Amino acid sequence: MEAIKHIINLIIDPKIVLPFIILIFFFIFPPTEKLFAINQKYRLNKIWTKQGGIVLFTTLLFFFLFGLSDENFRKIVSKPDNVPIVALIFLVAFFLWFSLKQAFENDARLVDGKKPNEAEDSAEKVLVWPDLVYIEFIALIFCSALLIVWSVMLQAPLEEPANPTVSPNPSKAPWYFLGLQEMLVYFDPWLAGVVFPTVIILGLMSIPYLDNNPKGSGYYSFRDRKMAVSIFLFFWLILWVFLIIVGTFLRGPNWNFFGPFEYWDPHKLEALTNVNVSELIYMVWLKRSLPASILLREMWGFFILVIYFGIMPAVLARIGLKDVYQRLGGFRYAIFAVLLLMAAGLPIKMFLRWAFNIKYIVAIPEFFFNI
Amino acid sequence: MQCPPEADPPSAETQVRSQINPLSAFRDKGIPLIMPEPQERHYNIEKLNRLFAIASLVLLAALVLMFADDYSRKWKDYQKEFRQLEIEKTRVKFDKESNRLIKDEAYVKLEGDIAEAQKVFNAQCSQFAELDKKLKKSQAEDELLKHRLKIARAELDAARFGYEEALHPAEAGPKNTAVEALKQRFDGLTQQVKKLSKDSEALESRILEESRPVTECGKGLAELDRKKKALEMQSFILQRKLKKIDPGEMSPANLTAEFVRDLPVIDFANPNYKIEQIVLKDLTDDVNFMQVPKVDRCTTCHLGINNPDYKNAPHPYRTHPQLELFVGNESAHPLEDFGCTVCHQGRGRGTDFTSAVHTPSSEEQRKEWEKKYGWQEYHHWETPMYPMPYVEAGCFKCHSGESPIKGAKKLSLGLNVIERAGCYSCHAIDKYKNWPKPGPDLTHITAKLDKDWVYRWISDPKSFRHNTWMPSFYNQSNNSDPQSIKRGQQEIHAMVHYLFNQGKEFQLDGVPSTGDAQKGEAIIASAGCFACHKIDPSPTGEKTTRQTLMKEQGPSLIGLGSKTNKEWIYNWLKDPHRYHPQTRMPNLRLSDQEAADAAAYLAKDKNSEFMSKPIPAVDEAMIATIGREFLLKSETEAQANAKLFKMNLDDKLNFAGEKLVAHYGCYSCHDINGFELAKPIGTDLTEEGSKPTDKLDFGFSNIERSNHAWFTQKLKDPRIFDQGKIKTADEKLRMPNFDLSAEEIEAVTTAILGFVSDKPGDSKLKPKTSRNKYIEEGQEVIRQFNCQACHLIDGEGGGIQSSVADWLVKYNDMTEGDATAVVTSFSPPNLIGEGKKVQAQWLFEFLHEPTTIRPWLKVRMPTYKFNVVHLNALLRYFSALDDQEIPFSELIDIKTTAEELAAGQKLFSNDYFGCAKCHIVGDQMPGGSAENWAPDFALIKKRLKPKWLKEWIKDPQVLLPGTKMPNFYDPQSFDQSGPEDILNGDENAQIEALKNYLMTLTTAPTEAPKPEKSLKGSKEEPATAAGAVSTPPSSEESSRTEKPKGP
Repeated sequence: MEAIKHIINLIIDPKIVLPFIILIFFFIFPPTEKLFAINQKYRLNKIWTKQGGIVLFTTLLFFFLFGLSDENFRKIVSKPDNVPIVALIFLVAFFLWFSLKQAFENDARLVDGKKPNEAEDSAEKVLVWPDLVYIEFIALIFCSALLIVWSVMLQAPLEEPANPTVSPNPSKAPWYFLGLQEMLVYFDPWLAGVVFPTVIILGLMSIPYLDNNPKGSGYYSFRDRKMAVSIFLFFWLILWVFLIIVGTFLRGPNWNFFGPFEYWDPHKLEALTNVNVSELIYMVWLKRSLPASILLREMWGFFILVIYFGIMPAVLARIGLKDVYQRLGGFRYAIFAVLLLMAAGLPIKMFLRWAFNIKYIVAIPEFFFNI
Repeated sequence: MQCPPEADPPSAETQVRSQINPLSAFRDKGIPLIMPEPQERHYNIEKLNRLFAIASLVLLAALVLMFADDYSRKWKDYQKEFRQLEIEKTRVKFDKESNRLIKDEAYVKLEGDIAEAQKVFNAQCSQFAELDKKLKKSQAEDELLKHRLKIARAELDAARFGYEEALHPAEAGPKNTAVEALKQRFDGLTQQVKKLSKDSEALESRILEESRPVTECGKGLAELDRKKKALEMQSFILQRKLKKIDPGEMSPANLTAEFVRDLPVIDFANPNYKIEQIVLKDLTDDVNFMQVPKVDRCTTCHLGINNPDYKNAPHPYRTHPQLELFVGNESAHPLEDFGCTVCHQGRGRGTDFTSAVHTPSSEEQRKEWEKKYGWQEYHHWETPMYPMPYVEAGCFKCHSGESPIKGAKKLSLGLNVIERAGCYSCHAIDKYKNWPKPGPDLTHITAKLDKDWVYRWISDPKSFRHNTWMPSFYNQSNNSDPQSIKRGQQEIHAMVHYLFNQGKEFQLDGVPSTGDAQKGEAIIASAGCFACHKIDPSPTGEKTTRQTLMKEQGPSLIGLGSKTNKEWIYNWLKDPHRYHPQTRMPNLRLSDQEAADAAAYLAKDKNSEFMSKPIPAVDEAMIATIGREFLLKSETEAQANAKLFKMNLDDKLNFAGEKLVAHYGCYSCHDINGFELAKPIGTDLTEEGSKPTDKLDFGFSNIERSNHAWFTQKLKDPRIFDQGKIKTADEKLRMPNFDLSAEEIEAVTTAILGFVSDKPGDSKLKPKTSRNKYIEEGQEVIRQFNCQACHLIDGEGGGIQSSVADWLVKYNDMTEGDATAVVTSFSPPNLIGEGKKVQAQWLFEFLHEPTTIRPWLKVRMPTYKFNVVHLNALLRYFSALDDQEIPFSELIDIKTTAEELAAGQKLFSNDYFGCAKCHIVGDQMPGGSAENWAPDFALIKKRLKPKWLKEWIKDPQVLLPGTKMPNFYDPQSFDQSGPEDILNGDENAQIEALKNYLMTLTTAPTEAPKPEKSLKGSKEEPATAAGAVSTPPSSEESSRTEKPKGP
């Protein structure tokens, strides 16, 4: 038992778990034909059937039941603040499964030359009044009852008067901001707190203009929209839900990383001596001291950025995303590629930090400009 | 959506629909409505209806749950239970009162009398029945008259206003022509009112007249009834209370109201069960951005806290155990003004067991509470309640200036331990800002000690003196591994070397004679040394109290011969301030011979076992290592090595020693040359009690995470929190171990918990009058100089008496019983009422340079070298304590006549009071044994206040209960108690005459002959102030006025 917990604690180390789930992700939600073929070959899409769902939920449930036998896990999971996040895990898993189940069923129907499931319903009419309003009203009543019972059963704690000299440890943002707070670990506030949220909103706004695939409109489908679904789920599941889960359950005192069965020791010390890319290049590889000139010093960082944002899109347009480029045209493709690369920058930076202690690609603390 | 062309005949489905569609009702009645009418339904409406019903019921249940959850509060259960208790108590009281009344003879007799009187009344007064009827009618008439009068008066007022207005019309307005009519109306009404009031008065007097026989007839009965009611008053009050609270005794209307007022929602108005709270405007809780008034809701559950009836009731209803001091209305801390949490801490706003932040006193209690109340640690409040063992900590925040804090025994003990151990010298504590260093002066150490002894002493002081207050730095839990022991030995070598290096020359006077140790022992036993010093060769197992601490004011004297030499002791005894200017050891004014004898005795006590403990050799390499560690803090390794290379062994020892003295903070307690300006090394403790627990390093220890547990553990083993940590030598904790006993630790912990940052409002503090200030300042001096070790001051002290009794037994062949009986006569005086008794000028001079008042005493008032601040503080203290005027501008004005003087002399003589039988008069010693002797009359004129003297002659027992001074006047029958043949038997005149006579006695400044020897023991010192008594001055000289100067 303890050994299993210990192993889980070890596996959940971010530098192992992050690449692992990203890898798995692209097999489960393949964005390209090649990966899709692998997905089909190993029948990974079986998850999105009834049997798959049962297995998925039993596993999830079993993990939590197993976890509850552990005092530390129980303490964190049963904290009134964290209960909604547990519910969130199950709800996200359920709706993901539910929608993908329909998507894969439709895919099968389309392959067989039938129309999607939704087409059969579409002939029928449903009236707003009384049907829709009535159903919504009933749902509303149930929700109210649920919220009341919840608030009676799990009391929100009234804490001590706020003291500017004593901040709670760890001090956490509300759960829906935990993803942003987690980003602060890897990026400067102006990036994590200002630029990224803005880009996220702009990116979401631009979806209708970037996604000009007419297929899959009005019905669930995966095969017709592999890349769209995959990219969306990547951001939603890994860069949002996963970060919330990390922030809630795995970030302990001093924002240290703790395994799910680990005691939250406020004295835990980790040697987080992070290095900048410039330091790595000049001091470790070239064995000389940092140049005095900022531009010279950060030249390599800028170089990397130029490659990443300037040359990568062009390369991708030829190799990986050829069809996308053809479909979208130069201008829309450029926007798409920059947004995609920016978003991908987060997991890349996370991995660099965890695995290699990279602090900044470009570090100009003189002007508060660090990337 | 489209409108159907026309309605179908109602099918089963549409009927169902009409149930859910309110508008369909209109349609059924033929009212034309444009309605969407679907042909088909995607959803089964039956099913939805059912779902809707279920949802509604679930919501209703949820709402009920919400109400129930909100309504049910634990404190309501407590209040209900308390009410039952209250009903029971009241019933028992009522029954008791009723029983008492039944058994009360006066009451039984009264009842009989009333029955009798009723009979008489019935027989005699029945004839008035007719008259009664008539009277009632008249009364009705009178009421009507009064009613009319009221109306008429109102109309009159209105008419007057109208008339006045009419007389003074507005400037521009038309002239009022109706003035005349208004005047008439006014006059008419005036007449009417006059008449009506006259009629009413007449009728009233008639009624009074007519009803007189009725009242007269029932007078006896009414009087008896009144008496009965007076006797029944208590029982009546109890009954009324029962009717109010006991549902069994209530009227149906009250019973209904009782039920309704506590119903949910309605209970906002005036419920029975409600939160009780005390809002305290000038006692605040610190919520970081502002101070908010304390709101204590404790009495919501602690309902009997200020009611003495609940002394034995279970918690939480029990009465406060010290109602006379706290909470009670008459006490110094009434509930309404102080609340609860200002003393107890905790969260006053909390209304359940956990959120009030109760703190368990022990592990058992914690478990019990968890089971019984579901108690949990409450993390969100920084000042949890003090656990019961430390409850006195709450006193300190307001009473910090007092010493002792009366009523707070444990806290006062804790403060005294802190004072004795000298915690304040390493840890700054505001209260002890200007206190002297607790340890001896080491600036002339070479004259007193030798290196070997000091080495052994530092390495283990307790092995030399089990009860020393010098703490142990070595052999502690974090430096007992072989490596540390080796290092420690060399550290001690270095420090010893440094200490002897810094010690300056000190010229010791030679001892004039070898000295007789036996005589010396007697001197030590009799002079009062044991008031402050102890020589207990082995632990006595005595519990530490404030009294035992007074006996440990000075160091224990065990093994003094091993520690130092006879010469030093002799020099020290002769003049302690020469060796240590700041010492609190007074000069006992021993003669050369006495000092030599005492030194011989003290030097005899040697501890050979201690002196034979081996001393390891100096290890130069280790010394260099230690030195290097200190050098490396500010220098590079190469620089450090270069420096060390240049040093010889002495230099190395000296360098390391100096650094170590600074490291361990030796200079905090001892004066050491070179460290005059060094800052104390410990944590500031002034607000330690307010430090959040997470700022305390618990290390790997398993103790409870609370501040009191931490303090306790720290005092028990100051190095404990190093356990399991990997540290270099200079990172280790260095607080030394005082080996405090469990009760000392609890007391000190109480005191530390009391050192908080809260600042209670001025209105809650003792008023800052000069009197209170003087008393507090005086108390501090008295504490510092340990006056109470000898004297009873303010009801405390006099611990020296036990050693005086021992001396009486050992050197005066008394039995223990006898010694106890007479010990007060041989002990320093009780200083009760001293401010009232003695003249300020005299006290100032006496404290500065004591003189002998009671020559028969062996213990002597030593010379303290008080500075002027101390002297003034003491003078003000004694004056303030007895409410005397400050500054001391008292007029000592003795006017007397020859006749009076003669009368006084007569009273003084052996024929009457025989004052000189006990009192010394100048050089004339009274007869009899010394235990009956009394102070010298020759000092009176300068020493005593005349007013006090008069009171003293009149009734000494009032001023000094238990004094040997006999009462010459009987306080019970004062006017008859004096001798009849003097001054016409006028007692007050006699006292005045005697006082004046006494105030005129003087001493001629002649060489005093030695008082005769009446006690065995060593030779006595001559009474310096004794002298011949001059004859009473002649009458023309006898009028004098003296005005002492203020100090």
